Amino acid sequence: MLSMDVFGELRRMNKRQVYFQFLNFAMIVASALMMWKGMMVVTGSESPIVVVLSGSMEPAFYRGDLLFLTNYQQDKIEAGEIVVFKIDGRDIPIVHRVIKLHENEDGKVKFLTKGDNNEVDDRGLYKPGQLWVERNHVVGRARGFVPYIGMITILMNDYPQVKYAILGLLGVFVLIHRE
Amino acid sequence: MEQDEPIKVDKWDQNSVRIALDDAAKKVLLGLGYEENFRLIDKRLAICTLAVVAAGFALIYDWLYPFPASRNIIIFCVVSYTFLMGVLTIYMNYCEKSIFLIAHEKDPIGTEPDVVWTLSSSMLKYDQYYTLNIERSSANEHVRLSSVRKSVGEFFDENGELHFDAFQPVVLNLHKTLHSDKKSQ
Repeated sequence: MLSMDVFGELRRMNKRQVYFQFLNFAMIVASALMMWKGMMVVTGSESPIVVVLSGSMEPAFYRGDLLFLTNYQQDKIEAGEIVVFKIDGRDIPIVHRVIKLHENEDGKVKFLTKGDNNEVDDRGLYKPGQLWVERNHVVGRARGFVPYIGMITILMNDYPQVKYAILGLLGVFVLIHRE
Repeated sequence: MEQDEPIKVDKWDQNSVRIALDDAAKKVLLGLGYEENFRLIDKRLAICTLAVVAAGFALIYDWLYPFPASRNIIIFCVVSYTFLMGVLTIYMNYCEKSIFLIAHEKDPIGTEPDVVWTLSSSMLKYDQYYTLNIERSSANEHVRLSSVRKSVGEFFDENGELHFDAFQPVVLNLHKTLHSDKKSQ
């Protein structure tokens, strides 16, 4: 794919063909987006796939594992289950185990979580003044996992240049390649 | 779309080769003064644009009213997008097929209906032969079809340059076989 050929093909394209190249790119992005949103609806979770970022759940999950979540309201969360939850004011979801659970008659629950590999429970991680995690903080429960794959995401977040470089190259390739 | 330098492609990239020949055939036919008809292409662009708009709408709506609230809109958009992708696939495979040019030969006097010329092409995978199909249709007349099958080696040199002078007569000849008509030349 020499640069000469590439610009030659570009120059030969009329307006409609150029527009179609952009549409092609947009359709690829749209397909990925639709699959992600579709998964959100099917699993009921706002983030159906998460990457384990720390070693706090070893030996169950290691840093870089990819987790598949579901967040069905009917499923009762019980002590011993692994949940993914978010703390108010922090973007990053935490993957830990529920160790204690309180439940009201009206069904309202609150739980205490702890990472298997941590010495203490998560109260140190919660918002100041927060002692329990509630149902609305929960992003989902882990249902399945794929090891190692998440390392790519971690790499791209630690070195954003890699992410932009890869995405940039893919974008350029799609925009230029005809058919 | 005037071009003084010859088209140069990667001679081993079959797709580029076929596209280069398509572009050249288009140039020959449009050089006869025919007007290109974009309706087929425009319909495809419309389907794609609609699909992208559906996806974009889902994105924006979900951003404004985060997940659980946007559930129904997302379902609608995902289903619409998938449906439109299906429509696009059917359209491209059954309506557009391998057509790359539809051109109208206008009657200079303006009394006769337009003659519609359609060009399509094909190349089998890993094959050296390029097949160019031409179709001439006009109101009140039978549709006339013809095609020519040539090795791409006849038109491209070692460097991947297309020799337009070698290709042009082939296209013109093909056109002539259908154009022969009692009235016009």
